[in-house]
Amino acid sequence: MSRQGQEQPRRGARTHRAGAGGRWRSWGRHHRAMARDSALRLLRHPLSSLLTMLAIAIALVLPAGLWLALDGARLLDAELDESATLTAYLAERVDDGEAGRIEEALAAQQGVADTRLITAAEGMAEFQQSLGLEDALARLPGNPLPASVVVSPVDPSPEAVRRLADELGALNGVEEVRLDLAWLERLRHLAELGQRVTLALVVLFGMGVLLVVGNTIRLAVENRRQEIEVVTLIGATHPFVRRPFLYSGAWYGLGGGILAWGLLTLGGDWLSGPVSALAASYGASFVLPTLGVGGSATLLACSTLLGWLGAWIAVSRHLAQIRPR
Amino acid sequence: MIAFEHVGKRYGGRFEALAHLNFRVGRGEMVFLTGHSGAGKSSLLRLIIRLERPSRGRILVAGHDIDRLHHTQVPFYRRQIGVVFQDHQLLFDRSIYHNVALPLEIQGMELRETSRRVRAALDKVGLLHRERALPIELSGGEQQRVGIARAVVNKPALLLADEPTGNLDPQLSADIMSLFEDFNRIGTTVMVASHDLALIARLRHRTLRLHDGRLVADEEAL
Ligand SMILES: Nc1ncnc2c1ncn2[C@@H]1O[C@H](COP(=O)(O)OP(=O)(O)O)[C@@H](O)[C@H]1O
Ligand SMILES: [Mg+2]
Repeated sequence: MSRQGQEQPRRGARTHRAGAGGRWRSWGRHHRAMARDSALRLLRHPLSSLLTMLAIAIALVLPAGLWLALDGARLLDAELDESATLTAYLAERVDDGEAGRIEEALAAQQGVADTRLITAAEGMAEFQQSLGLEDALARLPGNPLPASVVVSPVDPSPEAVRRLADELGALNGVEEVRLDLAWLERLRHLAELGQRVTLALVVLFGMGVLLVVGNTIRLAVENRRQEIEVVTLIGATHPFVRRPFLYSGAWYGLGGGILAWGLLTLGGDWLSGPVSALAASYGASFVLPTLGVGGSATLLACSTLLGWLGAWIAVSRHLAQIRPR
Repeated sequence: MIAFEHVGKRYGGRFEALAHLNFRVGRGEMVFLTGHSGAGKSSLLRLIIRLERPSRGRILVAGHDIDRLHHTQVPFYRRQIGVVFQDHQLLFDRSIYHNVALPLEIQGMELRETSRRVRAALDKVGLLHRERALPIELSGGEQQRVGIARAVVNKPALLLADEPTGNLDPQLSADIMSLFEDFNRIGTTVMVASHDLALIARLRHRTLRLHDGRLVADEEAL
């Protein structure tokens, strides 16, 4: 009902006062002011802010840590795939020359990537070396070991390997094909289980973050209830009322994300020694993966977003109560 | 400016706080709203700023049925009305200046224009020298004047006040009322709810009297 508003009060007041550029500028100014204001509010109660962020961080560390561990498992998996080989033991009567021909035949088979012949003598040497039984074996009358061919499959998946083993086993001169898939499969199932557990934890703990932030913001809204009512009465829109709380939520989320990042880095350092020692004892070279730049950015973005979302839910529920029916 | 047509308001489905209200307030008028405590004065004002919606009837403000405003339009509608509350509803964590600037901040007004208007409004209520003070440092009468400055800073064409002198002594009350008369003199439509009958009688403006939610008298100024 300014002179102009009188004619068209439904179109919103005073669009004529500030041009579009001015509107955007003041909108940006309000965003900056609210970002700063809500950060200052958090700093005014450093301990309680820190506790909230720590709660968020703890909720983030577990799923993020598991995620990293799974990443590591995937790397390990790839390494294992390379070591997924079959061993074709040749019949005892086969001599070295024939063994070479059989190796060529095996290499020509479909699905075979690579072959390596281990003659009976080489097999004996390897065996002696790895077991340290030179003396005992030397006393044996002849070489009891057959020649063998180590076959690397093109497709390392358990089903393909099993199929290949059947095919190779049927070839002339091949006595038996050995493959040790059981533990590989077990590992795969474990990895899948791990993936699902991680996913479930990500969802659950993400909701945990929402609840932590939501509850904190709910209290903040309660504390500033009078202010919200006053600005609503004098014409504040919902986005305007929400803004400072959304920034608070985002700050909480970002702070929690940074703390979680710190905890993950510390935890990784702490665990990396024993982990690589353990892996080395199995003959694997396994390094705990770190977050890296991309992972860190994702962690911080997700935590900030979760904080923002938690605040949005908390404020919106409150605004609905304040709005007159 | 304001038209009530067969307006009724029930709270909780049964209790009729207001019933059968029919009246008009013209542009540029100054009107008092009186009645015993619980007569429905605050409810009536809350209907006008659409803090409540009528259970029946229509309310037209500046020719528009305000019940038909979409809830996203309500903030923009409210920006065109200045409201003064009995308990002035100042924000105690910010200075007088920023309390008065609040309606302009909400609208995203530029800083220079904001400061010009805030100073003009504070000057009008005689508190320009206290712009940096916090509300807590002011007396009750001064706080109420800050509330008035906040209500008029946006130069609204309609100014509503709910018992603006409720807690003030007679001299301060008279000062506040003459402020409203000043705004009315420059064309603002003013509606003041008050049960200070002695003061109202002296000021000689049109008076609407409510009793148990009904309009029992509509007395023109003498
Ligand atoms: N939100 C509400 N819910 C239920 N009853 C209400 C509400 N607001 C006011 N009332 C009732 O409506 C009547 C009018 O109240 P009000 O408008 O505050 O009167 P006044 O301002 O003249 O004292 C009173 O009986 C009061 O108890
Ligand atoms: Mg009242």
